[in-house]
Amino acid sequence: MDNLLSQLHFATVGQYLVPSLIDGVGIVLEATFFGFILATIVGVFIAVGRLFGWKPIKIFLYVFLEIIRGTPLLVQLVYIYYVVPLIINLLAGMLGYKTDMQIAPLTAGIAGLAINYGCYMSEVVRAGIIAVDKGQMEAALVLGFGKYEALFRIVMPQALRSIIPSLGNYLVMMIKDTSLLAYVAVNELLLRTQTYASQTFYTIEAYSYLAIAYLILSVPLSHCVKFIEYKLSSSSR
Amino acid sequence: MLNIFDLKKNYGDTEVLKNITIRIDDGEVVCIIGPSGSGKSTFLRCLNLLEVPTSGKIYYNGSILDEDLDSKRMRREVGMVFQKFNLFPMFTVLKNIMYAPIHVKKMKKKDAEILAHSLLKKVGLDNKANAYPMQLSGGQQQRVAIARALAMQPKLLLFDEPTSALDPELVGEVLNVMRDLKKDGMSMVVVTHEMGFARDVSDRVVFMDKGYIVEEGCPADIFNHPKEERTQRFLNRVLGGM
Repeated sequence: MDNLLSQLHFATVGQYLVPSLIDGVGIVLEATFFGFILATIVGVFIAVGRLFGWKPIKIFLYVFLEIIRGTPLLVQLVYIYYVVPLIINLLAGMLGYKTDMQIAPLTAGIAGLAINYGCYMSEVVRAGIIAVDKGQMEAALVLGFGKYEALFRIVMPQALRSIIPSLGNYLVMMIKDTSLLAYVAVNELLLRTQTYASQTFYTIEAYSYLAIAYLILSVPLSHCVKFIEYKLSSSSR
Repeated sequence: MLNIFDLKKNYGDTEVLKNITIRIDDGEVVCIIGPSGSGKSTFLRCLNLLEVPTSGKIYYNGSILDEDLDSKRMRREVGMVFQKFNLFPMFTVLKNIMYAPIHVKKMKKKDAEILAHSLLKKVGLDNKANAYPMQLSGGQQQRVAIARALAMQPKLLLFDEPTSALDPELVGEVLNVMRDLKKDGMSMVVVTHEMGFARDVSDRVVFMDKGYIVEEGCPADIFNHPKEERTQRFLNRVLGGM
């Protein structure tokens, strides 16, 4: 054991890599924060559209959902970052405009997370809405509220109780999935570690630090989520 | 007040309501009785378009519902009380009552509160203003639900089996509130299994079976001299024990 440790250089690596990782945490949190808020909005829109929307909208959303759930997040990120700008430039070129549109790495990353997670989270929101007694919606309707007013004033607040814990789990998953943003040039933790390891060949040390960094981020967060879940289930009913 | 003309409702291939034509007048209390599955609740739910009729027309004070007048506007004037109360569980009793006046009618909060308290007094629950629905008995919840409907100052109230989910000893308190409403001149359409209430309180009784209105008339005629054989059989069955 002594022998093994003596061959590794955790102190040296830590000196350079740890500050770099700490810098990177800001990007991870930024991507997760905006990604999660947007994903929630996307999720609510898809859920409401699929439940109450006009028939063609329901069909469109269903097809969209199948496409997103049938392809990997990594492929979606690469597609948004590399392919979407190319398509836009191509279309613009056909219309006679010369454009060189690009998407900033972090923007593409956040968009990818929001769309992908939004689709999965929409199922949670949908199930939460369906689980609320139909009589609640009817009671609001007969008092003169419109369909969407009834939904957001009366039904949604009751659905949140079952929705929030599940969404919390998606939040913890998302913070770990930000590592995929390395593939669209976001200078987050994985990319920083990769760059460092490939220059110094301290592969074991570098990636061990990376794993620990994710643990430090995700374990407390998942315990927060559990705590909220517990609070919600114990308060009234 | 309400004129229903040739109303039909199908669920897939099953016809639940067949050619219903009936009039509800101002200030009238109409009780709808009949066996389970006869379409009474569906009929009531068609009146404010909680169920959309397959065909037929509903005139509310002369305007055709869903053509001249959208259901949202109509429901501001036509309240409804459900079998399962459907109070909002996250609000207190007071807020349950104030909520629609404030948000639908844009009533001032203070006025809505005064109104809510006076309605709670009317249904005998002024001391429960700050309780949550879960803390109340079924009968109390239903009385709050009636107060909530009254808070919109409706011209017509629809009751969908208001006492069917209650323990027998709690039925009376709800029926008493409804009797008081009749005294105040409220127009009501009541789907009920309470034959005593139908006989004593209503101006007109409608007997429905298998999606048809079999017979209608004043309570004395329906209960004492039913013309139709089906009405007689039904009344014999439900009144047999009385």
